[in-house]
Amino acid sequence: MADVVLQGVSKAYAGRPTVHAVDLTVADKEFMVLVGPSGCGKSTTLRMIAGLEDITSGRLLIDGADVTHAQPQKRDIAMVFQSYALYPHMTAYRNMAFGLLKTTRLGKVEVDRRIREAAEILHISHLLERRPNELSGGERQRVAIGRALVRQPKVFLFDEPLSNLDAKLRSRMRGELKRLHSELGLTVIYVTHDQIEAMTLGSRVAILSEGRLQQVGAPMELYMRPANTFVATFIGTPEMSLLRCAVKPEGEGSLVQHERFSATLPMRAGHADAFLGVRPEEVRVSRPGEGLTRGIVERTELIGAEALAEILIGTDRVVARMPVPEAPDSGAEVSVFFDLARARLFDAATGRALPAA
Amino acid sequence: MPFGAPFQVRLREAGLAYLLLLPSLVFLAAFTYWPILRSVWFSFHDVVLGDSRIIWLGLENYQRLWDDRLFWKALGNTVFYTVITIPVAIVCALLMAVALDSKLRGMAIYRSAFFYPVMIPSVAAGMVWVFLYSAGYGPINQGLRLIGLPDTAWLYDSSWALPAIMVMSVWKYSGYFMLILLAALKLVPSDLYEAARLDGVSAFDRLIHITLPLISPTLYFVAIIGLLHSYQIFDYVYVMTHGGPADATNVLTFYIYQNGFQYQDIGYASTLANVLLLFVGGLIAVMATVFGRRVHYLGR
Repeated sequence: MADVVLQGVSKAYAGRPTVHAVDLTVADKEFMVLVGPSGCGKSTTLRMIAGLEDITSGRLLIDGADVTHAQPQKRDIAMVFQSYALYPHMTAYRNMAFGLLKTTRLGKVEVDRRIREAAEILHISHLLERRPNELSGGERQRVAIGRALVRQPKVFLFDEPLSNLDAKLRSRMRGELKRLHSELGLTVIYVTHDQIEAMTLGSRVAILSEGRLQQVGAPMELYMRPANTFVATFIGTPEMSLLRCAVKPEGEGSLVQHERFSATLPMRAGHADAFLGVRPEEVRVSRPGEGLTRGIVERTELIGAEALAEILIGTDRVVARMPVPEAPDSGAEVSVFFDLARARLFDAATGRALPAA
Repeated sequence: MPFGAPFQVRLREAGLAYLLLLPSLVFLAAFTYWPILRSVWFSFHDVVLGDSRIIWLGLENYQRLWDDRLFWKALGNTVFYTVITIPVAIVCALLMAVALDSKLRGMAIYRSAFFYPVMIPSVAAGMVWVFLYSAGYGPINQGLRLIGLPDTAWLYDSSWALPAIMVMSVWKYSGYFMLILLAALKLVPSDLYEAARLDGVSAFDRLIHITLPLISPTLYFVAIIGLLHSYQIFDYVYVMTHGGPADATNVLTFYIYQNGFQYQDIGYASTLANVLLLFVGGLIAVMATVFGRRVHYLGR
């Protein structure tokens, strides 16, 4: 196992840049998730690490060795594809054995031992003689992971491995992957567009948008302290609400002036046009007459244990999360509170989090 | 058609289907099945073109065929032509297709270049190759002279005439097979190759263990098409050698033509045609049992 270091890694197709100077260090035994909307460059970045795409500029180090321009097989990595990429004419066993037998000097006995062991770990021992078309989606997924495991590579790359599975199976496989990672001590780089997957799987998460790295950090750090409005709205469902306001220093903190209210925040942010960011659980509603400001409930959604209400405050919309019995009716006028100690500010022009946020 | 539909509805839909099939059935019957039945009937008779008398011969034509040394030679030529030309053409086509199945620039141009021979009418192509092969001024001989080799009258030499036609046929067929194989290659998911590349599987092993098994249905199809084409080879022989020299290039279809339309012996020509049909049918049945089961169909 080993660390992976990307230094200013960029990719351009026919002169058009798609990945911009990504700097990222994946530590040994870390589970790093690359997440972002489709077209953000996360798969391209993964494929550059794999050697399936050329690196236009920058450097890639695996275990300290510069492999920027090395052939894929020289990088000692294994990849699990979204489509699983199992050879359809080979049994599960052959799928796992093929690469080892063709490219290593391991004897048949050792190859067999590794396959049996991986099959044991993945609970697919009884499926080894089946071909991919005789396996379910989840079973194929396990075989694909098995094929990567038997190689005993330094780094495991996963390219949206769960997106072809149904919701229930996906959540089970998430648990499995987490178990594998901690039990076997694997170094994993995992690409997904699903922020829930990113939050639940990653030791750290790297968020990409339009080919640029937005923020890298532990899942809760991204949730609590997003570096910019993109991260703020990408992580979390429903997304963080942003209210346009003006900010100026006041005493030890800042005065936030919205078109409908003013409030004091405990941090200093200088003078700026800004967005006040509040998460749904940081918004409380009550009967009119109390609270920081007032709003009109546009829509209420009951989603089982809790309810979501979309509230119009001036020209801004805010989403609040609450227990079902407290859900206001659509069209009702309500008072709104914000948990200002947890709220954050973002520069309206650049989208970046303002200092001390 | 839903099984639960009332009988009348199903009958009406089936009736429409048969009605739409009728024109092609009529044509097939008139121009394929009826002639086959007629030729079977002719083969038991003495039938001469332009003579209305038809005399029952029983199995005499088949006895004659058994004793006809020229028939055996023509059959031998046809088999030799097929077992060399088709595999060689398929291998050439596969190599071209694999080379063209890359994302390099200008591939469309190469693709058309390789396919071009297929578009040339076979008679015109034959004439061009007669020129290429000709003694003295023929470009092939001129080229050979440059490297100090003697002139050969390729199409007039009984040991070279058939191989010369075979070379020309490979040139003509490969482009056609290449196009079909290329379409099959495009259907092999690229991530299979990527997975193999990450494992370090060599290009040769990828071709043998991934590409070939996955395009095996198409290879099988191309082999059958090639077989059918090669047993019908007539035009090149007619244009280039007329079966000569000394029947060195006489193939079954040409021999059938000679008997039927040069010697007016329709009865014997029909006998030859029936034997050819049985022979090709038998070969395909053998191929289907030997290879058909080994073919792997993607996703099945």
